[in-house]
Amino acid sequence: MSEIIQSSKLTSAPAQPDVRLVKMAEFGAGGRSTLGISLATAAAILAAWWAVSHLGLVPHLFLPRPDEVVRQVGNIYRDGYAGASLADHVSASLFRIVVAALIATTAGIPLGLLMGLSRWAKGILDTPIEFYWPLPPLSYLPLMIIWLGIGETSKITLLVLAMFAPICLSAQAGVRSLPLERVNAARALGASRLQLFLHIVLPSALPEILTGIRIALGVGWGTLVAAELIASTRGIGYMIMSASQFLATDVVFVGIGIIAACAFTFSALVRAAEALLVPWKGKL
Amino acid sequence: MLKVDHASVFFAARDGRTVHALDRVSFDIPDQGFVVALGASGCGKSTLLNAIAGFLPLSKGSITLDGRAVTGPGADRGVVFQKDALLPWKSVLDNVALGLTFAGIGRRERRERAEELLRLVGLADFAEAAPYELSGGMRQRVGIARALATDPGILLMDEPFGALDSLTREQMQELLISVWARTAKKVFFITHSIEEALLLGTHVLVMSPRPGRVVKRFDIDFVRRFVESGDTRPIKTAPEFSELREEIRAVLHEGENLRSAA
Repeated sequence: MSEIIQSSKLTSAPAQPDVRLVKMAEFGAGGRSTLGISLATAAAILAAWWAVSHLGLVPHLFLPRPDEVVRQVGNIYRDGYAGASLADHVSASLFRIVVAALIATTAGIPLGLLMGLSRWAKGILDTPIEFYWPLPPLSYLPLMIIWLGIGETSKITLLVLAMFAPICLSAQAGVRSLPLERVNAARALGASRLQLFLHIVLPSALPEILTGIRIALGVGWGTLVAAELIASTRGIGYMIMSASQFLATDVVFVGIGIIAACAFTFSALVRAAEALLVPWKGKL
Repeated sequence: MLKVDHASVFFAARDGRTVHALDRVSFDIPDQGFVVALGASGCGKSTLLNAIAGFLPLSKGSITLDGRAVTGPGADRGVVFQKDALLPWKSVLDNVALGLTFAGIGRRERRERAEELLRLVGLADFAEAAPYELSGGMRQRVGIARALATDPGILLMDEPFGALDSLTREQMQELLISVWARTAKKVFFITHSIEEALLLGTHVLVMSPRPGRVVKRFDIDFVRRFVESGDTRPIKTAPEFSELREEIRAVLHEGENLRSAA
């Protein structure tokens, strides 16, 4: 505590402004903030886009101007695109990914915990998971369509399969990384098997589970757009696909922007959940 | 009374050979006794503690606490680990009250008893702190309070001060002795420091490796003087203290030499 107070005094009230503050040499990127650099890079990319499109260095068909893309957002918002409103497209995609995430989480967490706790569960479940998990979801999408049709079921099943494995494997890893001393301490305090699970195993595995959910959402967005590109009448992926058939690159840009915004929001939500649920992550 | 009777432990090593970790160890800890197991690493002292705690079954022999055979871990034996195994998601108070939670004791009583124990170890002001906000010595105090919460018959301490700096270590020794004097618990304490063993123990078991066994037992009473005066310096400089220290050092080295000759 006293160290913190002292060091904040040093930086907030420099009694000797001419003194040279030093610190240990860092290696690599170090721990300093990169926010300014990142914002400058974003601004540079936008400026380059604007310059290239205005000067006509690239045919307009390939690269719309930034202001056209912004205007197109307004147009699609007002008039919809490809037979559905913007809200329909976005909510169709969000519905699929949220439902799939809920199913994958409800199944993945208990099964993953079980795999961490029981040799039999691990032995049995490892085989199918290790077989299908490395496969690209698009490779078994045709099977999903043949078995389940082109409706919502096949898309959501595909998403569930893609998102289940990272959640399940991270829950398992969470149990396996549990230090034996923590378990023994609880046993020596008289914990029953159920108490051991609720008070020790579950909270210990929570940080890894949340990491797994974040990875799963990333995989989910990738898989979702791919699924909508192939068999769909609604969704952001479908919107991009039909726009590309009319060479409407500005609409493609709008679709990409929406996906980026959604994926970023989801990731930020999980990070907020991490800050709320496991503030102790990485400590002790 | 804790009674360890001809306790032997054999492990299977990774290469398939059998390791004789503990060889027919017998001793007992009378009520209010403070027994220190002293020895170099590999002498089986942690194995012995794990067996008493019930984490490890014996290959042969038996352990009984107040007449009941030890068959597994239980709240009648409080364990303090070398690396405190505190739960980072619980406050200091809830960590101390963990054993009471497991026993199904109500919230208010849990709080009262945990607060009392925190006062005993001098951490009353840190009840709501998170364990990772505390220093190493403070965390070990939480560990001691937690182990005492279920009112166990004996405290088992596995080199609890081994990772602390020497100043904190002396403070913790004083704290432990005052807690021991006030609660009148049996203690089984592991260390590789001869001085710590002499200062704290009523009985010192000098252990030797391969196979892990007790080579000599000393019954001493420096700790009584420690309790009375609360000051370690006159004890440590007393001639009988240094004599005994040299004698134990000789016993320990003898064990080492025998091993390297074999």
